[in-house]
Amino acid sequence: MLSHVNVPLESLNIATLVPMLIPIIGALFILVIDLFKKDLSKSMYVMLSLLFVLLDFGSLIDFSIQFNTNGTMLGYFDLMLVDGLALLSQFIIVGASLLFIPLALTSKRFHEFSYSEFFALFLFMIAGFQFMVATDNLILIFIGLETASLALYTLIALHNRTKSFEAAVKYFTMGALAAGFYVFGAMVFYALTGSVEIHQMAAVFEADGFANLPYILVGVVFMLGALGFKLSLVPFHTWAPDVYEGASASMAGYMSIVPKIAGFVVAMRMFEFLVHSGIVWMDVILYATVVITMTAPNIWALVQTDVKRMLAYSSISHAGFVMAAVLIGSTQANSALFLYWVLFTFTNLGSFSMLWISRQKNLPAGQSSDHPYTKFAGMIKTAPLVATVMALFMLSLAGIPPFGLFWGKLYMISSAVAGGYIVLALIMALNSAIAGYYYVKLIVYMFMKEPVHGLEGKVYSMNASTSLRTIIGIAAIGTVFAVIAVNPLLEFITSFVYNSGY
Amino acid sequence: MLDHILSILIFLPALAAVLGFVVHKDSAKAYGIAVSIIEFVVSLYLWFAFDPNVSGMQFMESLPIVPAFGVNYLLGIDGISLFIIIMASLFTMLGIASLGETKNMKNMVITLLFLQMTMVGVFAALDAILFYVFWELSLVPMLYIIGAWGGPLRIYASVKFFLYTFTGSLIMLVGMLFMAYLYYQATGHWSFSILEWYRLILPESYQLWLFAAFFIGFAIKVPMFPFHTWLPYAHGQAPTIGSVILAAVLLKMGTYAFIRFSLPMFPDAATFFMFPIAVLAIIMIIYTAMVAYAQEDIKQVVAYSSVSHMGVIVLGTFALNVEGITGSVFLMIGHGIVSGALFLLVGVIYDRRHTKLMSEFGGLASVMPRYATIFGIMMMASVGLPLLINFVGEFLSLLGFYQQSHITTLLAGTAIIVGAVYMLSAFKKAFFGEVTNEKNRNLPDINKRELVALIPLTIIAIWLGIYPKPILTPINNSVESIVALMHEKAITPEAKSRIPALEGKIIMQKSEAEVR
Repeated sequence: MLSHVNVPLESLNIATLVPMLIPIIGALFILVIDLFKKDLSKSMYVMLSLLFVLLDFGSLIDFSIQFNTNGTMLGYFDLMLVDGLALLSQFIIVGASLLFIPLALTSKRFHEFSYSEFFALFLFMIAGFQFMVATDNLILIFIGLETASLALYTLIALHNRTKSFEAAVKYFTMGALAAGFYVFGAMVFYALTGSVEIHQMAAVFEADGFANLPYILVGVVFMLGALGFKLSLVPFHTWAPDVYEGASASMAGYMSIVPKIAGFVVAMRMFEFLVHSGIVWMDVILYATVVITMTAPNIWALVQTDVKRMLAYSSISHAGFVMAAVLIGSTQANSALFLYWVLFTFTNLGSFSMLWISRQKNLPAGQSSDHPYTKFAGMIKTAPLVATVMALFMLSLAGIPPFGLFWGKLYMISSAVAGGYIVLALIMALNSAIAGYYYVKLIVYMFMKEPVHGLEGKVYSMNASTSLRTIIGIAAIGTVFAVIAVNPLLEFITSFVYNSGY
Repeated sequence: MLDHILSILIFLPALAAVLGFVVHKDSAKAYGIAVSIIEFVVSLYLWFAFDPNVSGMQFMESLPIVPAFGVNYLLGIDGISLFIIIMASLFTMLGIASLGETKNMKNMVITLLFLQMTMVGVFAALDAILFYVFWELSLVPMLYIIGAWGGPLRIYASVKFFLYTFTGSLIMLVGMLFMAYLYYQATGHWSFSILEWYRLILPESYQLWLFAAFFIGFAIKVPMFPFHTWLPYAHGQAPTIGSVILAAVLLKMGTYAFIRFSLPMFPDAATFFMFPIAVLAIIMIIYTAMVAYAQEDIKQVVAYSSVSHMGVIVLGTFALNVEGITGSVFLMIGHGIVSGALFLLVGVIYDRRHTKLMSEFGGLASVMPRYATIFGIMMMASVGLPLLINFVGEFLSLLGFYQQSHITTLLAGTAIIVGAVYMLSAFKKAFFGEVTNEKNRNLPDINKRELVALIPLTIIAIWLGIYPKPILTPINNSVESIVALMHEKAITPEAKSRIPALEGKIIMQKSEAEVR
């Protein structure tokens, strides 16, 4: 007879689950509504989801106030870990979701938004990502990762175009492989240390002085592979451009931000002790990955003829740029990662939304993809305001001051310099210069070429509705006036990162 | 108002540009002229209120932007930046006034006003990041001006201009960040203030690397040989207004930055690199003069001669003494006035004939006498004839470098004189002789709109050639304080002996922090 286990409810600290429970309850609620009444307007679902995401955001604010006074919180048999990293990344995840949901309210009708399941899956996905970042338990990370990924595959496939199915299947198979990698890596670590919690693994490794080096490296390689798929690090990036092309532009923008920040946080937790372990190979592997990931996609992006594919490659390159923070591993670098990603959220979601509002329902004759460069030729004459806003986002992505992303780049390169990685800093700077070309290329098309015959100005904003314009407006304001927000953001982020011990 | 006069100078055109979107396109030019006249008057008032006896920074403004990272909105000017700012507002005003028939006039005016904001900002910024912000931002309007209003190869030229400069400045940014990090190590807090950086004494090895990083950014902008290849394309394809602003103001950013950053921050590295840079400068003077001689396009002649004279400015700057630097700053003003005017003049004939080939012209002096006269004066000024503006600057620059090396200076001096050949021959081909081409027979002489821009420039070129003192004194005071600072900061004996000690002069900033 098993002895009676007595766990006081108090010690479980169930409250730490609240931010994840909100979207889960919301998703179930939406499914239940669907049971009773079909054919409800998508605007109802959008607003309902928005409400739950807002509640989620509110609970995060509450937690960050608690974090300021109490420090890191543990809960639910110490599975949940609410520290600064978890809170910051959840802010980005939930904040980006807030900006994403209203993009469903296009003026043209798109098939996927008419299903309530879309919104339910979307909320489940948010919860999954939140679990992924708010723990250092490898198993819970896995559960969060898979919950989110499975939902995401379906969301992509719902876009209901031939390319979307291809994209979803491709993403799914790659994701399945990554899951295998992840589990294998976790198994190796568990076998070596007898624990699935990262901080305990670190303690065991440090206690025996990284004795089983070959096995540790095997684990690291599998982990890096698994996270590499999620973060689209080269050479695990091959799915990214195709998937972005197949997904709707708004979804592609979302995918370039949210899954990656979750991946970065896991990578930070995972590699923090490994980078500082003094194992030579760790540095080399990460260094090479970072440099290749930011350089190679830049070169590929140069030759793209489709703006969306260009943005796909560019966002891979941005991911490589930010991955440098994990390599550098200082407080400044980790803060730079979050600063960069907050600013990137506004700019990148903005630029993908600009593609989204110009999306035609059917491809016109002679146009091979949704958003070729030539489509945007001479836009300044036919749709000056749209062209100017688009140019703003491009300048920000290129890192032209004083627009948003410049400050992220500045702080990131500075952290590389301060961390003693001068060569890396130069590589980062040169990559920004290469990237300048393909962003400017779009500006050249928009501002300096003659308009395409037969394309009228309204084609560039044919999907625009009030809510889409609002989101683009918020993104544009966030990009242009980032200079005001940088200081409070930086102080907030740095204190959170520092207080979590990273 | 005086407390914020620099902010007004920077943001007035930007604000006007934003409001300009509402102005009807038929009135856009008048609007642009009105705004730029206000701006010019304010910049003249700045000169009036400027105290020429103070050698340090004046009209300083400070506002934290990212205090956690030491980035401030820090403005201030001294005698060096004052006149370049006035020149920037002068050329924006004259440039807009001289605009002829232009498609999308409204876009052009708005772009020029934005460009003016960035130009004034670069020369007024005393915070490295703020400087960088304006420096980079100035690329965007210029990209648009060349790319949208340029010649057949305009897109290639504009993108080349953008990427070249952008790459250089990113390397410079890494240098700035490293400098800030050294400052952080020495003092324990972040700062990007140039004045704070002046206080830092660096070991020579750091100086060399940092000097190199900054040098790449500045040298591409100047542009120094061998980084000059973007410039002929940019000038060749740019519309007249683009070339004018580019030659008169944008190129000065590079040489100005040498004086603001490289010399006072890295005096030992500047001494170390003095002769290699002098060699580059002389190659620049001689080589581009030869290339200019071989050109058939009159605009390219002016473009290459402009690069050639930038070489003299660089040479004067790296004389590292008061005469040389004062001369190079004065020559920046002179070069701006003269090459700006020459590009305007080329634009005048291009508007009439839609060609810039010299073989198409000939005998213009008899058809367009007033035009030929102004062109002649400006050309004489350009080759450095005494009593015209460029002579003062060239003479002082060479005098300065003569104290460092006789042979180099003799070479440079000869090159300048020989360089006059291409200008004179170009002038001869275009203006003298018989009118051979029938199309030139009935060309109208220069009109009022064009005179409005050219007469003031001609007057300035003569006035400052005869009586340079009003400008020379403030420049000299500021340069003296920089040279004194360099001498005090220098750590190698070589630099101590090359950079003269100035007894009894006020040093701009006491050096307190030292990196070891």
